[in-house]
Amino acid sequence: MLLVSSKFADQKVVVDDSSPDGTARIHVVFDKGKLETAEPASTIVFAGGG
Amino acid sequence: MPRKPAGKLFFITAIFAFSLLAGNSPAAAGGHKLKRDEKKVLDYLVKDWGQDYSVTSVDLAMRAVGLPPSDDIRYHIGSYIKQHPELHEVLRNWGWVTVVLTPDEKLIARHLINAQRDGKPAPSLAEIAGAVSLDQEQIKRGLAMLERYEIIRRDPSRGGAGYAVLPHYINWEPRLDFLFHQVTLAGGRQFNTN
Repeated sequence: MLLVSSKFADQKVVVDDSSPDGTARIHVVFDKGKLETAEPASTIVFAGGG
Repeated sequence: MPRKPAGKLFFITAIFAFSLLAGNSPAAAGGHKLKRDEKKVLDYLVKDWGQDYSVTSVDLAMRAVGLPPSDDIRYHIGSYIKQHPELHEVLRNWGWVTVVLTPDEKLIARHLINAQRDGKPAPSLAEIAGAVSLDQEQIKRGLAMLERYEIIRRDPSRGGAGYAVLPHYINWEPRLDFLFHQVTLAGGRQFNTN
C-alpha cells in the first residue's frame, strides 16, 4: 500500500494476495494511487498513513 | 638465504587466488551447481531482493529472465537457495520457503496446515482443489513440490490426500513462509513484497 501511494502512484498496480487466515484469493487493482477494483467484493482495503 | 624461484611462487599464488574465487562463487558452492540459465535466475533474484521491499519468488524470476515454467528447474534453483542463506539478508530475515514456492503451493500448504493445526480430518484432493480454486492435477503437482521440500510427507494414516505437515510448519506465522503479496506493475515487472 505504501508503494501504491508513493513510488508507483503514477501508474496502474495489480496486487494478488490472499486472506492470511484462509485460502481465499484477493485481486486488487489500483490506478494512480486510487483503488479501482477489489475481488471478492467482501475485500476490505485499509488506506491510512501520511 | 636461497630465494624461491619466482615461477613457483606465482603458481602457488595463482592456486590460492583461484581457491578464494571458487569459494566466493555462490553458484558453485556446496556441491550443488546451477546451470547457466538457473544462475541467471539467481542473479536476478539477488539483485531484486530488498528493492521496494521485494521478496521475489523463483517462479517470477524465471518468467522475468525468459525461462519457461518448469517445476524441476524451479526446484533445483529453490533447493540451492534453501542451502545458501548467505546469498542475501532477505533469506535470513524471511526464510527460504516464501521465495521458493508459488502462490498456489502456498495456498495448498495453508489448507493442509489449517486442517492439521485445528485437529480436523486431512482434506482430500477434491477438497483442497475446491478450497484453493485449482484442479486436482494442479493440486497433485503442488503436493509433490511441498513433499520435495520436506514441508509435508506422505502419511496415508491421516486419510484425505494422504499427507502430514511437518511440525516446523504448523506454526509458521513468525515467518513469511506461506504468505504472498504479488505486485504487477503497468510496465510488466512482477515482484513479491513482504
